[in-house]
Amino acid sequence: MPDTGYRSIRLANPQGLMRTLTTEIDFEISELLNLVSKASRKGPEATMHELTVHQTHFLDDSLFELQLERGTVAYEPGACVALFNGGEESRPFSIAAGTEETLLRFLIRRVPNGQVSNWLACRKPGDRVRASAPFGWFRPGRSVEGERCVFIATGTGIAPFLSYLRSNPERLPELCLYGLRQQSDAFNLNELQDTGTLRLALSQEETNDHFHGRITGLLEQLPLATDIHYYLCGLDTMINETSHWLEAHGIAYPQIHREIFFYEDESL
Amino acid sequence: MKMNRSDAWLTTSQNEPRGYIQPQCLDELWFHTGTNCNLRCPFCLEGSKPGDNRIEFLTLPDAQRFIYEALELGVKKFSFTGGEPFVNPEFIQILTEALDHRPCLVLTNATEPLVNQLAAILPLRDKPYPFKFRVSLDHPDPAKHDESRGKGNFRLALDTLGRLYREGFDVSIARLMLAGEDSAAIDQAYAPYFQAAGIPDDITIIRFPEFHLPGSFPQVPEITEICMTRYLKAEQRAGFMCNFSKMIVRKNGRCGVYACTLVDDVSGYDLGGNLKEAMEERVLLGHHRCYSCFACGASCSEGV
Repeated sequence: MPDTGYRSIRLANPQGLMRTLTTEIDFEISELLNLVSKASRKGPEATMHELTVHQTHFLDDSLFELQLERGTVAYEPGACVALFNGGEESRPFSIAAGTEETLLRFLIRRVPNGQVSNWLACRKPGDRVRASAPFGWFRPGRSVEGERCVFIATGTGIAPFLSYLRSNPERLPELCLYGLRQQSDAFNLNELQDTGTLRLALSQEETNDHFHGRITGLLEQLPLATDIHYYLCGLDTMINETSHWLEAHGIAYPQIHREIFFYEDESL
Repeated sequence: MKMNRSDAWLTTSQNEPRGYIQPQCLDELWFHTGTNCNLRCPFCLEGSKPGDNRIEFLTLPDAQRFIYEALELGVKKFSFTGGEPFVNPEFIQILTEALDHRPCLVLTNATEPLVNQLAAILPLRDKPYPFKFRVSLDHPDPAKHDESRGKGNFRLALDTLGRLYREGFDVSIARLMLAGEDSAAIDQAYAPYFQAAGIPDDITIIRFPEFHLPGSFPQVPEITEICMTRYLKAEQRAGFMCNFSKMIVRKNGRCGVYACTLVDDVSGYDLGGNLKEAMEERVLLGHHRCYSCFACGASCSEGV
């Protein structure tokens, strides 16, 4: 077998060698490569979606639900799409809508100076928003057919669980813990309470109806069993603390599913 | 589609014959699982980020077709890179198929997409062939790693690395190589972290030089035929990945066979739709990343 094709090569023009080694790459080939590279980038557009804004619904100055006409977008609970800001900046957002709904719903917290969340917050009905195809790896309730599951969320981390509950009203989790600063931050609270599985933890508000304190103060109420899958979504500190607590109480790591949306001291 | 190569491909700007590799064998077949990734690292060799579809998700039927063709050509190993492979919804199925036939290597950031699928990954230990993970730990300084990969991801990746090792998987890491670095000292700086995670401190560390972003055109020296013979020995030329491997990339709804893992941003390196024909194609070393392989001896492979 020949040595990578070189055995018969004749050494010629050795004086030109060092010149070539130090010559800047030729513009002609650079331009050629640029052209073929651009041509090869047409693919992504084919699988992008242009979706129409149905409405934006604000809970307060920073929290809002963005509703987009679904079009042909297909997904399963837990899926994200990357939403673009009218330019090339995009961020992933988890779909909160059920799989049979005609609208895509996203629960969004405006991030200070955020290039995407602030742009989305200013959209009006009829505006167009570019979105990627759905994707994701956090799949509440999907690990095993008919599995038992527990959901634990903080803030907008409730979105994938809302999608699951709206898609599978007959297959409820054992328990759904939801941590917020105050009750008015809750998205779709009545809908969640109707499932009969919700426990709300309010860290900055005392009420007669709900636990006052961080959500990790409710961990002792969790059902513990080796056949239960635990789904954690939202703030990093909640996820890490809960994950460690579950392992310390005998839950195998592969039974613990996690999706970080926000960090304690900074936004994603 | 395969591109007609003009003189600009065959010769350098000084009109000298461009350096090349005539592939000898298909020892390793790489699959690109797609540029969709859960992270958004500014230095990513593939420009991957959440929702990115520059390179589409590899599908199970695509993978099966090339797995079987590669087996006919005597392939010894299958390797997978992204993006983050575990973001691909069919990746576990693809891996399950590949592990029935040959050992596999998976490059991963070892964060949420992998962690969330551990229950499906662990049974793969029982497949006929072994399965190795290469985890990206860019720097032995967690803060530097997290600057690009997101807060807490050094700790998570290290924790996952340790768990995979303890579950019986072979592991290695990949890191960034800095210009003028003391490589041995930097490698050694990982030891306390490996120890804390319960990993042997002699695991393989793959160092990657600066490859620049996809679609960029940094100015580098050109490689002539004479460079390849004067400065490299036959053994070194044989070590070029394009000599013994190929990569499958899905774009625009079709899979192409590319010369290596790092040149998929230039369609001229699409060598066609099947491996047999691609193996006959001479690979012209005209991409700026070819110079990194030439000058640094860089390779994505861990051997076969």
